[in-house]
Amino acid sequence: MGLIKNIKSYSEGIQISAEKREILTSFLSNGFPTTKDEEWKYTSLKKVIANEYSIENKGEIIDSSIIEKYSLGLKNKIIFSDGKLINTPIIKGVNINDFSEFESANTDSILQLNKALSQNGFTISVEKNTVLESPIEILFFSTTVNGFSQYRNQISIGENSEVKFIERLQNLNNSASFVNHFTQINCAKNTKVEYNKIQNNTAESQLIDTMNVYQEQDSTCNINTLIFGGSFIRNNLNFEQNGSNCESNMNGVSILNNNQLADNHTFVDHKSAHCRSNEMYKGVYLDNSKGVFNGKIMVRPDAQKIDAFQSNNNLLLSDTSSIDSKPQLEIYADDVKCSHGCTIGQLDDDALFYMRSRGIGIEEAKAVLTYAFASEAIENISVEQVKTLAKKLLAKKLNVDLDFSL
Amino acid sequence: MLQIKELKAGIEGNQILKGINLEVNAGEIHAIMGPNGSGKSTLSAVIAGKEEYEVEGGTISFDGKNLLELDPEERAHNGIFLSFQYPVEIPGISVSNFIKTSITEKRKAQGLQTLPTKDLLKMMREKMELLSIKKGYLSRNMNEGFSGGEKKRNEIFQMAMLEPKLAILDETDSGLDIDALRIVANGVNKLRTGDNATIVITHYQRLLDYIVPDFVHVLHNGRIIKSGGKELALELEEKGYDWITKEADKKWA
Repeated sequence: MGLIKNIKSYSEGIQISAEKREILTSFLSNGFPTTKDEEWKYTSLKKVIANEYSIENKGEIIDSSIIEKYSLGLKNKIIFSDGKLINTPIIKGVNINDFSEFESANTDSILQLNKALSQNGFTISVEKNTVLESPIEILFFSTTVNGFSQYRNQISIGENSEVKFIERLQNLNNSASFVNHFTQINCAKNTKVEYNKIQNNTAESQLIDTMNVYQEQDSTCNINTLIFGGSFIRNNLNFEQNGSNCESNMNGVSILNNNQLADNHTFVDHKSAHCRSNEMYKGVYLDNSKGVFNGKIMVRPDAQKIDAFQSNNNLLLSDTSSIDSKPQLEIYADDVKCSHGCTIGQLDDDALFYMRSRGIGIEEAKAVLTYAFASEAIENISVEQVKTLAKKLLAKKLNVDLDFSL
Repeated sequence: MLQIKELKAGIEGNQILKGINLEVNAGEIHAIMGPNGSGKSTLSAVIAGKEEYEVEGGTISFDGKNLLELDPEERAHNGIFLSFQYPVEIPGISVSNFIKTSITEKRKAQGLQTLPTKDLLKMMREKMELLSIKKGYLSRNMNEGFSGGEKKRNEIFQMAMLEPKLAILDETDSGLDIDALRIVANGVNKLRTGDNATIVITHYQRLLDYIVPDFVHVLHNGRIIKSGGKELALELEEKGYDWITKEADKKWA
């Protein structure tokens, strides 16, 4: 059995368009990617898809105390329960609707599956000249045991608008849920967008998250990815810059333990001149955890005066943790600044001794150094509540009682 | 306060300290001088508890406790402070946050309540004034991008905040210009009480013009080969080390 069979039997009982049926048939004959695919070389889906999943989701009512528990307490909340949209805020200049069809350029098999079968997700369109003070919080709850869910979300930001988002997927039982999540963001001219992903799901949960960002001129888009919980996480984050003076920023922090795996694949397609991209991914690996980073930067022939910076720094805090890190630069223009750096290390013994000699116990010293290591990426987040949560989750994950604020 | 007896220690199988004897009492300042490679920094690292060093023999007792059984952080909680020759940069942690963590941990170990932030900041301001430290400094990352002088001043600032019983200043003067040296020395002198003690490890006599020692010890090849009063430092400045080291080499050959 396994997920492919679950999908097959589910799809036989539903009505979908001929086009979707064709996409699905193609997916079912090709199956999920394997480690023979270059993009999945270090991350195996074998175990994930061997599980049995329940595809028909119930959409239970979620108790308000549970919503509160997982919310950052912001007033604008979009809430899903097992795929059903159960709450939409009313915000001036922002239209929030349920799922609607849209085309996506990416043709990987996971997105094909998403395109063929996804019936859930949000559609947000932000009118021109809308500046939101308060971020929009988006919560996706899952109550189905071993539920397989697919979301397909679209955000369009009108010219000169500024919006921030915080997204969280939360499984409300301890089963091995699996989400195939896809979000497309279109940033019109002169827009500013920040999207924060809090990936702190239950221990057995699994996620493939794909985000495609399309930017017009003078737009800035920041995507922050904080990974703490979940057994399997694959993030595909793709930017396409289609106008001059665009800026794409990515900050990532992964703190993993036990047998967790987190894979961050990023791709910045510099198609226009005078644009920038910055990516900073920090990973901390304990126990048997495993990290993968693949950062691709493409600079097209006409994209002159590009400033692209990429860094991936990793701390391996056990003998059995590992990281595979791969920068990939393809540069076809001649007047560009591109740099990348990758480091893999342990905590500095001299720094540990220095702190211990000042009375800071070894576990606390390790936590402070780990925090210091990750903080550069955390500090780039502009939403205070997210920053505070990140610090709290970090201290919790490292099992120390430390207050990082002063 | 501190009693070191026949201390033998080394690193990776090389014996560096070959039998050190030293007694430091409350209220005293001891200077340990000696040429490069004589074991000065090893001695300070062993007292502070750096784990790479293996103690092969002898004892160190501090206020009657066996120091060698304690972790570095426990030694700090008991009142030992080492000012590093090369202070470590810790990006991502501000000076104020670092010191707050340090003091909180020390108080926790001593069974004291956490110091309210208000009191802590007041104390920081007082000690900053003592060391002519400018305001913006507290929010800078620990030692990151600090000049040599700023790093050393930061060490003394932490010492002032932690109020140790025994402070070991490892080459605190090296690389300092005369103004920075005066500020650092002045700070050390002002923090001096009848209850605490200081060991000044140095290469140069110059620092001892500002921090006047009660005792001077010459360390050579892992042993204290001569001890005396402050005039010994002046004699070393004038004549160099050769006249005593040659004699010692003959004796231990």
